[in-house]
Amino acid sequence: MIGTVSCGSSLVIENVDYSQPLESVLTPNSENVVHDQRYAIKFSVSPILEAEGVESVNEIRLIRNAAGYYFVTASGFQNVYVFAPGEGELELENSIDFLEDNLQEPAFNQRSSYIELVDLSDGETYRLDQDGIIEEETE
Amino acid sequence: MNTIIKNISVFIVLSLFTVFSAIAQQSDYQIQQDFQTEYTELLERIEQAGTSEALAEIEDAINELETNYNEHSDIINAALYPETFENVFTTLRNNHAEAVENVSTIEELNEEILSLESELDSFRSRLERMNQETADLQQKIRESTQNEARQAALIRQYRENIEERNLFVSNFLGDLLSKYQSMDRAQRQEITEAAGRLEENPVDLIQNVINEYITMMEQAEGLETPDFVSMKAQHGYFVEVWNQIGEQLTTTFMPDNPEQARANVNQLLSNWQESISTNLWASLQTAFSENDIQLNEFSSSEEFNEAIHNYIDSSYEASVDANSEDDYQVYRNFNSFWNDTVKTEWGEMFIEGDILTQAQIAAVDMKLDNWRDEATPKSNLTFILLIVSVAVIIGLIVLLLTRKSDSGAKS
Repeated sequence: MIGTVSCGSSLVIENVDYSQPLESVLTPNSENVVHDQRYAIKFSVSPILEAEGVESVNEIRLIRNAAGYYFVTASGFQNVYVFAPGEGELELENSIDFLEDNLQEPAFNQRSSYIELVDLSDGETYRLDQDGIIEEETE
Repeated sequence: MNTIIKNISVFIVLSLFTVFSAIAQQSDYQIQQDFQTEYTELLERIEQAGTSEALAEIEDAINELETNYNEHSDIINAALYPETFENVFTTLRNNHAEAVENVSTIEELNEEILSLESELDSFRSRLERMNQETADLQQKIRESTQNEARQAALIRQYRENIEERNLFVSNFLGDLLSKYQSMDRAQRQEITEAAGRLEENPVDLIQNVINEYITMMEQAEGLETPDFVSMKAQHGYFVEVWNQIGEQLTTTFMPDNPEQARANVNQLLSNWQESISTNLWASLQTAFSENDIQLNEFSSSEEFNEAIHNYIDSSYEASVDANSEDDYQVYRNFNSFWNDTVKTEWGEMFIEGDILTQAQIAAVDMKLDNWRDEATPKSNLTFILLIVSVAVIIGLIVLLLTRKSDSGAKS
């Protein structure tokens, strides 16, 4: 259900779903820039690599949740980085730590109310939102 | 002990569950990637499929792909947008149906080519067997010069062998004629595309058969006029068939240069005709000569007809002038050879082989009737009987007059 609130000269559209149905798997170019032509975003991954303490990476996995946050990670990363889009920038909203064992083969899946992170190497799954790992309710 | 086994079993079950759970965790991205890979592979397999069996397997694979990925159709739709899961299978099935049609056409064509190849092989091997028989007979004829009866029998067999060969080749030509006359342009085009696989195509075969006929004519041992007349008729049939399907055959089997192929066959047909003619006219001249009929030299049907008329005309003139018994003998000799051999034995072949027409034979018959009238020796008996009759009449008159004068004197 989409509703609109008109207030003076501003027009706000609510309940926007930004969710990207499938993660994008992007290969950085020689300048560590990735370009997702399908979802129209292009940025440098150098700050992320620096944060991870690595010089390069083969592939970056990127997905956007319904709230519009971008989730970024890659094989061997310790973190999933959550970015909020700004005017010509991506601002780090959260950095979700996986300290026990680095993510070996991470993959994002879009689920109805969260982002599913799967480590394909061991089948471990996590439910994520922009605030971090969502604890599963015990039945 | 039982407790240990039970614990081990539980451990195994749990371990397996853990492993399967790990395997069951999938990446949506990977699912759509796998789907696209399998889809692309299927498209390639369809494009490369060359047999009905391969396409049947592909059809199963399409159905399996659809079943396997049906539960992920939402992910795939998202990945393929604006293409859809449903459209992917429509495309696959349309391409598959098109490939089935193409392969079916190709398979039919392959069968046709195989059948043609088999027919040509069978024709070629049968012809080679006949050629071998002919060569053996020729060899035997050469070796049997001491035994005339045996040589005659061999020559008869040799001639029969050639007749059989002619009939066999004629049947083959008839088959070719009916097959290629009924083909449309599209069918011929399809055969052209596959004809390169034939070791020997019908045009090659026709050229080889004509070459063999030419060789046969060059080694015309033991053959006589009827054999050459029969060969002339065979040549005529060859030309007739070639005129009807030569263009189709050369454009189908010699697509690179059909005009040259046609010119080659036409040249061979011309050489064959020349070799037949040379033998035919020489054998006819010999046949007439062996029957004491010396015709002027001839080398065509027209010249042969003219030579016969010249012979009759000059003999007729001689009969008119001399009306001798010798002239009559010349007539009887010619009349006998003409009626008993030329007309009775060769007449039909001469007409079929365009050596003499029915009208030309009839014209010779009419001339022969006139010649007979003039050649028949005129008898003196009538004249003698007339003289005797006149003398008897005069004698009777004299006798009557003498008796009359005697009785007048007595009275």
